[in-house]
Amino acid sequence: MSPPPLEIHDLTVAYHKKPVLWGVDLVVPPGKLVGIVGPNGAGKSTLIKAAMGLLPVSSGWVKVFGEPVAKNLRRVGYVPQRESVDWDFPVSVMDVVLMGRYGKLGLLKRPTKADHDKARECLDKVKMLPYANRQISNLSGGQQQRVFLARALAQESDLYFMDEPFSGVDAATESAIIALLHELRAAGKTLLVVHHDLPTARNYFDMLLLLNMRVVAFGPTEEVFNYETLQKTYGGRLTILSEVAEAVRVKG
Amino acid sequence: MNSRTNRTTVRLLYLLSSLLYLLFTTPAHAARIGDLSETSLWDQALRFLTFQDPSVRYALLGSMLLGISCGLLGSFLVVRKMALVGDALSHAVLPGVALGFLWNMSKDPVAIFIGATLAGLLGTAVVNLLKQTTPLKEDTALGLVLASFFAVGICLVTMIQRLPTGNKSGIDKFLFGQAAAIGAADVQLMAVVTGLVVVVIALFYKEFLVTSFDAGFARAVGLPVQAFHYGLMLLLAFAVVIALQAVGVVLVSAMLITPAAAAYLLTDRMHRMLLLAAVFGMAAGALGAFLSFLGNNLPTGPFMVLAATAVFAAAFLFGPRHGIVARWWRQRSRAARIQRENTLKAIYHVLEARNFQGEGVSFSELAERRRETEEEIQVQAAALARHELATLPGEADALFLTPAGWQTACAIVRNHRLWELYLTHTAQIAPDHVHEDAEKIEHVLGEDMVRELERRLNYATKDPHGKVIPGVPVMLETKPEATPGYGRSA
Amino acid sequence: MNELIPLFEFQRVFVTPWTQDFSSSVWIVLMGFFVATACGLVGNYLILRRMALVGDAISHSILPGIAVAFLISGSRGSLPMFLGALVAGAVTTVLIEVIHKKSRVKQDAAIGIAFTSLFAVGVILISLFASKVDLDQECVLYGEIAFIPLEGMVEFAGLTLGPPSVVRMALVTLVVALLVGLFYKELLVSSFDPALAFSLGINSTFVHYALMAMLSVVVVSAFEAVGAILVIAMLILPGATATLLSHRFPVMLGLTVLHAALSAVLGLHLGVWLNCSLAAAMVVAGTGLFIAAAAVFGYQQTHAHEHSQNNNLRGRRGD
Repeated sequence: MSPPPLEIHDLTVAYHKKPVLWGVDLVVPPGKLVGIVGPNGAGKSTLIKAAMGLLPVSSGWVKVFGEPVAKNLRRVGYVPQRESVDWDFPVSVMDVVLMGRYGKLGLLKRPTKADHDKARECLDKVKMLPYANRQISNLSGGQQQRVFLARALAQESDLYFMDEPFSGVDAATESAIIALLHELRAAGKTLLVVHHDLPTARNYFDMLLLLNMRVVAFGPTEEVFNYETLQKTYGGRLTILSEVAEAVRVKG
Repeated sequence: MNSRTNRTTVRLLYLLSSLLYLLFTTPAHAARIGDLSETSLWDQALRFLTFQDPSVRYALLGSMLLGISCGLLGSFLVVRKMALVGDALSHAVLPGVALGFLWNMSKDPVAIFIGATLAGLLGTAVVNLLKQTTPLKEDTALGLVLASFFAVGICLVTMIQRLPTGNKSGIDKFLFGQAAAIGAADVQLMAVVTGLVVVVIALFYKEFLVTSFDAGFARAVGLPVQAFHYGLMLLLAFAVVIALQAVGVVLVSAMLITPAAAAYLLTDRMHRMLLLAAVFGMAAGALGAFLSFLGNNLPTGPFMVLAATAVFAAAFLFGPRHGIVARWWRQRSRAARIQRENTLKAIYHVLEARNFQGEGVSFSELAERRRETEEEIQVQAAALARHELATLPGEADALFLTPAGWQTACAIVRNHRLWELYLTHTAQIAPDHVHEDAEKIEHVLGEDMVRELERRLNYATKDPHGKVIPGVPVMLETKPEATPGYGRSA
Repeated sequence: MNELIPLFEFQRVFVTPWTQDFSSSVWIVLMGFFVATACGLVGNYLILRRMALVGDAISHSILPGIAVAFLISGSRGSLPMFLGALVAGAVTTVLIEVIHKKSRVKQDAAIGIAFTSLFAVGVILISLFASKVDLDQECVLYGEIAFIPLEGMVEFAGLTLGPPSVVRMALVTLVVALLVGLFYKELLVSSFDPALAFSLGINSTFVHYALMAMLSVVVVSAFEAVGAILVIAMLILPGATATLLSHRFPVMLGLTVLHAALSAVLGLHLGVWLNCSLAAAMVVAGTGLFIAAAAVFGYQQTHAHEHSQNNNLRGRRGD
């Protein structure tokens, strides 16, 4: 049997000796669309950053397709939070999407015509091709998110990490993104998506990872998405609990 | 991007080599700068512009070379929001300059280069150390390093000046810069460093781009982000150090920041910004060297900085897209268009009130409708006539719409009523709450959006107040102006 | 090298300044102390508001203000200097705001552009009118604290008070200390939580500009003694050192004064020993104190403050 796309063992991450993630164990099967949900400060972004080796870990290890993550970064795609970059930066939409090809290009090599074609194809998939030559600050929030997605597509990876791709986007972009995620899953890719909104989480994802510093639950959505585990994840936060109750009611 | 960045690199290399050509081919005769003391401004300018004096050539070449390297590296500082790191680094080199000088008690370019680079790098390392091991924030750490390194430097400089050999050392020229003190050896070093900067940036352009734009992503694709950061700091230290002699420790940071910021205002692409910043830096360097040469014993640095500031001010005020004047002009023309459209709308309302009987609309009718004086109406009518939206037959105080004016008037009224209907119909807003909103939207609705609204409203013909939504008469040319704003939100 | 660093003679370095040269040493040390105290008190708020580099900017850009004041009034009187500095300080603040708000240039670059341009104007004015302006480029950089004893004395009501610049600096320090004492809570609240300040009815914009005005006045009076760039050290070093040693604001203010006194005295001895610029030596002494504080306390504080309760102040600002 081929090794799983992502295997995390006893991962602990700390800022200034204060743990943010604690003893995370996780094995993600291939071809799944996995939502990572949990309250603010639960360590959702930290988990995917640590899984890619972007943060120093206090203990534990991460394997991607059976290899340490640093060796297999080419098979990993990443969509960071939209707010993590300066959108006034003097680059065009095309420039940003081409960055997705840099990992495969290696040092000193320039993007070739094939890379440009690939970037154009990815822009077309997110319906942003007409904007290819725009400077990125002239885009709406949803369009910026699509550009980031196109860049991740251009990475042609097998395992994707996405940090809140649905935050601050319009409804049209949200449904476009979800269609794209389904398409990727159909192509056999594995996707881990940090998600904020509980009611939609139930509909969007095959599997859910409920996180609050530790893994509260991980499994197929219909098994995990119930009042008990959600209460464990979110503690006594009433507003969210009522939202959850509503979501559970709709489901039942 | 491939060919574009290549072209940028080629242009930069061309610039560099033509400078070097200037250095080594122009014949050298005539006196050195200092030899003549009583000269007029005009003579001085002439002497400078004929390049006969080798020290003038060195000063000019050196100033242009430093402008190129500072402009290139400053661009990365500006887009990375690290402008003040450049400031701290440039002050922190002073003790290194003094120590390099002490090495063999002379202004040996190489010793000073090494000493200053090490001091600059030590300064940036201390900033990082302070940020990581103390609760001090970045700005405090930068200010601290800047001022304390500088104080150590001043101690050393004053100690050197006290020495019997130190007084005429010219080390004080490093504070405010003296381009005339640049010699052949200095220019060679500057050319080597500038060449290095151009080549490194050209080779690793895409890495510098992605690590500056999105460091997290760059690490996720496996790039050594830290290495590129330190590489940039090293090049930056080089650029600062070669600029010291001409610009001076105190003002070097301006040569890093100001030309790059001016370029940042003028373009939306990094490779063009690099090219522009290099050109601006070069121009500021040359102009500064020229101006300081005109007076007696004037420092060069401040003149270069002011030349760069002038470029920035021009870009800030007159930049075609982001400039203040251009933006003011766009706002003004938008306001004028809205004013015209409102007048047209009022004309439509007048015509509608008399069931479209008769073609002319008198100024008094219009003034009553808009609750304005006839003088104001006359001004508006003249504006409509200028844009060929209406004609004003001389004798009567009345105006007649042209076909284009009629079409625009219909379009505006249609937009207004469609939007009111949409708000009451789809968004369930009470009919008496929708007018204000529609007053704004009517001017920005694009044709596509109008089609979409019409479709969603099942091609309704009456607005919520029961008035007819006019169709727009089909004509040769359609809308008078492109509609900004639409198409931005997906 | 032996020429560079004079022999360390205890007698010459530590005793002579307080016996034979007492009358000059005492004024130099007092001046250094007043400058560092006034700067340090204002600097504490700059650090708290993350505006350390605005202090940097203003201390550079008052130079054209001073030069123009000289050229217009033809004298070195206090009033024209203060006015010139206030105007220059205001121009800097406004320029930074305009560049930053009206274009997409970010604040850091806006600061860098504004102060270097103004400083360049100042240097050019000074070198063009060098004969008329009683200032030179070196003085701009590191001041003339060593010449203070040569100024003559100010007398008031029959009492000999001291050299005029020391008396002036003492007054400025006194006013700053009074203002900091009187408006203690307004300054603190608006520095650390403008929203809370607004709800308490404190006008944060006014506090901001008042602080900038205070900064300009302090910087211009310190200018003659320590020059434009060493002022930054005087602004930041005392507060930064105090930050490492305490998290309680009143204690920090006290430590600021202590740091100022120690760096003035130690700086004098260092400067006498090395025979270098006394103002720079005072800053180097202050840096030494900072390094000592960082070496002993810096590392522990980082970790302590993760858990400490009374540190919500810094935690809030960190968001």
